[in-house]
This record gives sequence, C-alpha cells and structure tokens, in this order.
Amino acid sequence: MSPKHEARLPLAFITPGTEVRLAALGDEIDPLQREQLTAYGLAENRPLRVLQQKPMTVILADEVELALEHAVARHIWVEIETPPG
Amino acid sequence: MNTSLSPANAILLVGHPNVGKSVLFHRLTGAYVNVSNYPGTTVEVTRANTRFDHAAVLLDTPGVLALPSRSDDERATMTALLHENSRCLVQVGDAKNLRRTLTLTALLAELGVPMVLALNMHDEAAARGVTVDVAALSEELGIPVLATVATGGEGIGELTGSLVNARKPQALLRYDADFEKEIAAMAAAINRLAPHPKLAARGLAILFLGGDSAVADWLKEMAVENYPELETLCQAAGQRTDGDLPTLLARERTEAADALAASVIQRAVRSSPLLSQRLGQYVVHPVWGVPILLAVLYVVYQFVGVFGATVLVGLLEKDLFQDILNPAFTNLVNAVISLPWLSELLVGQYGLWTMGMTYALALILPIVTTFFFAFGVLEDSGYLPRLTVIANRLFSLIGLNGRAVLPMVLGLGCVTMATLTTRILHSPRERMITIFLLALAIPCSAQLGVVLGMLGGVSFTAVLVWALAMLAILLLSGFLASKLLPGRRIPLVTELPPMRLPILGNVLKKTGGRLKWYLLEVIPLFLLGTFIMYSLDKSGALPAIIEAGEPLVSGWLGLPKEASAAFVMGFLRRDFGATGLFAMAHSLSPIQAVVGMITLTLFIPCFASLMMMIKEQGAKVALGMVAVIVPFAFFVGGLFNLLLHAVW
Repeated sequence: MSPKHEARLPLAFITPGTEVRLAALGDEIDPLQREQLTAYGLAENRPLRVLQQKPMTVILADEVELALEHAVARHIWVEIETPPG
Repeated sequence: MNTSLSPANAILLVGHPNVGKSVLFHRLTGAYVNVSNYPGTTVEVTRANTRFDHAAVLLDTPGVLALPSRSDDERATMTALLHENSRCLVQVGDAKNLRRTLTLTALLAELGVPMVLALNMHDEAAARGVTVDVAALSEELGIPVLATVATGGEGIGELTGSLVNARKPQALLRYDADFEKEIAAMAAAINRLAPHPKLAARGLAILFLGGDSAVADWLKEMAVENYPELETLCQAAGQRTDGDLPTLLARERTEAADALAASVIQRAVRSSPLLSQRLGQYVVHPVWGVPILLAVLYVVYQFVGVFGATVLVGLLEKDLFQDILNPAFTNLVNAVISLPWLSELLVGQYGLWTMGMTYALALILPIVTTFFFAFGVLEDSGYLPRLTVIANRLFSLIGLNGRAVLPMVLGLGCVTMATLTTRILHSPRERMITIFLLALAIPCSAQLGVVLGMLGGVSFTAVLVWALAMLAILLLSGFLASKLLPGRRIPLVTELPPMRLPILGNVLKKTGGRLKWYLLEVIPLFLLGTFIMYSLDKSGALPAIIEAGEPLVSGWLGLPKEASAAFVMGFLRRDFGATGLFAMAHSLSPIQAVVGMITLTLFIPCFASLMMMIKEQGAKVALGMVAVIVPFAFFVGGLFNLLLHAVW
C-alpha cells in the first residue's frame, strides 16, 4: 500500500493535468494488449501525466504520448501523485 | 535440414517503430525506402549495399513494439534475425525514451551477436530536457553507443566508424533464479536438438519461453521430429511458473532497463510544454480536433482538387497536349507511317499516344503529383497517427479501431500499398474487414484526383454527394462485415509521435520516389489497357460489349451507352476507367457524372491491388471479395441514379 495515497483509481477517471503513478494493470486487459502496454513502458510505479480524457485517454509516459481507449484505461489502476494545478 | 544462411556481412537495423530506422537506412545506403512520421511504415525487410563498405549489406527491418514477436511485422524482423548471417546488429533507439529502448536491448543482448546502439533523435530529447550519458551507457553495455539525428545526418559518420568496434553486449540482467533454471534447461535442449549457427541458444530459449512464434517455427523446422521435446519443455516451464511466464520475463527485462536508464539519464525541469506538444494536443482535442480535421481536408481539396485537377490538368491537357503535342505527333505519324492501322494504333481514338499517354501524363500525373506532395506533408508532420484518435469512435461502429484509419488514408494514395500496410492491424479479422473496405470504397490518388477534377467541374454539391455516399457505403459495408465475421473488436492503444515541421527536401524526395513508382506501374498498364481497347474496337467486340451493356449502363445506371467502354477499362484499373468517364464529361449531366463516379469508385481496384489482396488473404477470399464488389457497385450506382433523380 502506498504511504501517501491508499486509493487506487482507474486511469480513465483521472482529471487531465494530474500526475499519477501506475499501480497495476487489471486482469481484464487482454494478455496481448497487456504485453503491448508493457512494451510502451507502462510498468508498475511508472510516473504518468494525464493530458486529456476525451475523446480518448492521452497520457505522457516519460517523453512518449500514448492514446488509450477508455475500455483499456478504466482497467489501468493508478495512484495520484500531484493533483492538477 | 536446411541450416544454410545467406552470405555473411549482413548488418541489421533493428528497433522500435518510428525511431528513424528507414531514414538511417537511406543515409547509409542511398537507397530510398518510404519514410514517415508514424509507426508501421516499414512492413517488410528491405536490403541494399552500404555506401561505406561495398561488401556489406544493410537490412531495414520493420519496427518491433516488443520481442518476443507477436505481430506480422515483428515476426518479419525476428525471421530476419534467424535467417541472416549477421555481421552485427545496429539497434536504433529513441533517445528521449531510453527505458523502452533498453527493454529491447535487454533481449537483443542475449542473442550473442555484436551490436551497436544508435540513440537517434537526440535533438528532440535535448529539447525536452533529457540528456543521456552516452559514455556511461556504452561502458555499462560494453558496446559502442552513438547519439544521432538521422534526418539531419548528425552522428552518421561516427556510427559507420563504430561498426568495426561492434561487440557482443553484456547481459543487462540475470533473471529470477527459478527462471534462470528454465532458461538454462531450454538453452541446453536447443543446443542439443537445433543449434543455431549464429544466435546464442540462451537468447533463443528466452524468446521461445516468451512465446515467440517465429522462433518456434524455426525450431520446428530445425529439430524436426525432436520438436515435441522442446515444446513439452516449454509447456512444463509455464506450468511450473506462478503466473504468466512471458509476462514475468518481460517484467524483469523492463525493471532492468528502468534501473539502467535511471542511472544514465538526467532530466531538466521544464516549465511549459513545447509548442509541438501543445499543437499535438490541439489536434486530438475534443473540441478543436474535428474543426482542424475539416480545415486540413479543405486545404488538401484546394491543393489537389482545384490546383492539381483543374489548373494543372487544364494547362497540361488542353494547352499542351490537345493544342500542341497531339496535333504535332499526329501530323508526324501520318507523315511517316503509311499503314492506317498502325497510325490509328498510335494516334487514333484508342491510340497509345492520344489515349494511353495523354491519360497518364496530362490527366493523372498532375493530380497524383499534388496528392503525393500533400500526403507527404501530412505524413511527416505527425498528423496521421492523431487521426487514429479522432477516427476511433467512428471506426468502432464498423468493428474496427482508429488504427484502421492509417491503411484507409494510405489507400487514398495507393490501395495496393495500403493493402500491404494492413499488417499493422492486430487481428486477422481487422485485416480482412479493412482490405475489403479498401477494395470497395477507397479511391486511390489517381482516381480521387479524377473524381475531384470531374465532379469539381460540375459543382461542389456533386463532390459532396459523392463523398457522403462513399462514407455511408464504407460505414454500412463495414458494419455488415463486422457483424458477419466472427471475433471481437480490439480497443485502441497507440503511440502519438511528436508533431514535426516537415522538411521540404524530404517531402520532395518522397514525392519523387512515389511518382517514379507511379510512372513505372501506371504507364505500361495504361498502354496495355489502350491496346486492349483498340483491339476490342477493331475486332468489333467493343461495340458488341457496349450494346450488351446498354440495359445495365443506360437502363439501370442512366448513363450514355458509350460509358460501357469506361467500365471495360475499369477492369484493368479503376482510375483508367474513371479517366475514360472524365474524357466524356462534357456529354454527361450532373447526375450522370455523380452516378458514374460512385459506380466506378466502388468497382474492383486495379490489377496490382487484386494481386496484393490474393497475396495477403489468399485467392479464395480475394476472389470472393471481387465477386461481392462488382455486382454491389452496379447495384448501388443504380440506386443512386433513382435516388438522385427523385431529389435533385
């Protein structure tokens, strides 16, 4: 459990501008797509910045922008690092 | 058993998609390959002799999102690694995304082949405040590491100089002790049953345990009757593991890559995003995305449909060919050739010059030139992958995700190439639906230009009716196809490469390369088509076909009976047929023009596309598609004839 924040939230629910840390990839994600996400660098504890949520979830992981459909983003669990500001 | 490899001295460019492998390939060989700012441009291995060492052959491999290989393009790269007698690998990585680069390095390093790592686009990394300690990374990996900017030629000399110092890399990690036991057992079995002459058994063992299908195929071929032993070993390893073995192995590689990347990267804090990042976000913005798309389409229409298809075609077709070249050439032929059939073959109604070359050079060339230029600008800007985000919801209606927009948009350039590019799609179902829709409702650049030129001359409404009809048919056909084909839709996950200002020289080079391909493919086919039309006319078959087609062409489609000739031409190439209609545009009413173009757009694609469909989907599926498309084209054309007469 994170010392700072206990709640794990779906990535699809996070307000744009928020810094988050990836907690887990949900079991609902297709194994092949999970491998694809891992290949893009979405591993546990990786810091992410949410850029937008519509029409798709767009995140910045390191310096790479990724667009994820909500069907995937709602099964990616994150912990909030810094609220939007 | 075939264990022979191609001659030594192969240097393989390997890396993630869209990291600049093809630009580097062009820099190192001088050979042109299509290069774009989106993942998946290269779907097949390309090879050429290098400039710096004439004995060496450089191979440009499709980008791999990850290894072990899963997709067709990843399998193509893995197959090249297995079958080429590599002198060394050049891993091309994105300097601003070192973690991902090193995740792939962690696996390539286990193959036991000398390597060099080119950290490309380090200018973009620097602009984002990312600095990589190249010397420290080189020391950790035990191989030369170079910072390059392939588009600007920076670091290329150092890269070629470093190839002689390529070394087998040091391993980035030792896996968990239990996994190491499985890997060692598998490596020993591979060494015993199917040793690879070049690649290390340990690397092959990690790939095989990770579920790499290309490695599995290779082992099957090499181990023959002993393959079941390897397969059993793999299955047993999976069963002994608490969790999914391929995922766990990949996770350990990622952790090792993270740790190494963290030790050699420095990040400066940036106060605000770059202009290119802000622009990239506006393009996929929920409010601004669609207006920007409409503005882009309008600019492309003005450039291709108005400037290319009206102004340039007018200059070339009327002012140059009709008023100067054709009369001069006709006079010359009549003066020097006394055989009437031969002069008619050259400059008659269906003459090789007056029809074949005039269509290809005066009508189509200016249109495809402007289209290829506009398309090149869009490709290099990074706009196209962002289209996948905007189009995703629309494509979900037809059982696809937004990724399918890439082959569709490429199809507006060339349906043949786009059919090959469907390999970037993840499932056979997505590929089949997309190939069908490409064959049915996506006009290639030549045909698109003719449509815009002809219908643009009628009215903007005519263009709009045609475009909306195509969109409706595309969505309806896709919807039906997705319901008929079993399987489920895969949600979209995609990388959005940075927006970049296109470099004029690169766009012109790319336009030139595509025009060369176009002229080589189209002119012989146009001449062959003209010759067939001439032969049909002389043998009396064409008038008979026109008479026979009258009930369909005149009765059902409402076109003049002479339009049958355009459909005969359309069997060879849709754009050839469309050009035939364009040539008789003055005698068509607005409704006839729209109906004719809708029918010909839906008609079977060109011969080259048909061959590509057969290559990608097999003859049975491809011919089945054609059997649906041809009657469907006439059926829909007739429906629009009735509908437009009722409302227009």
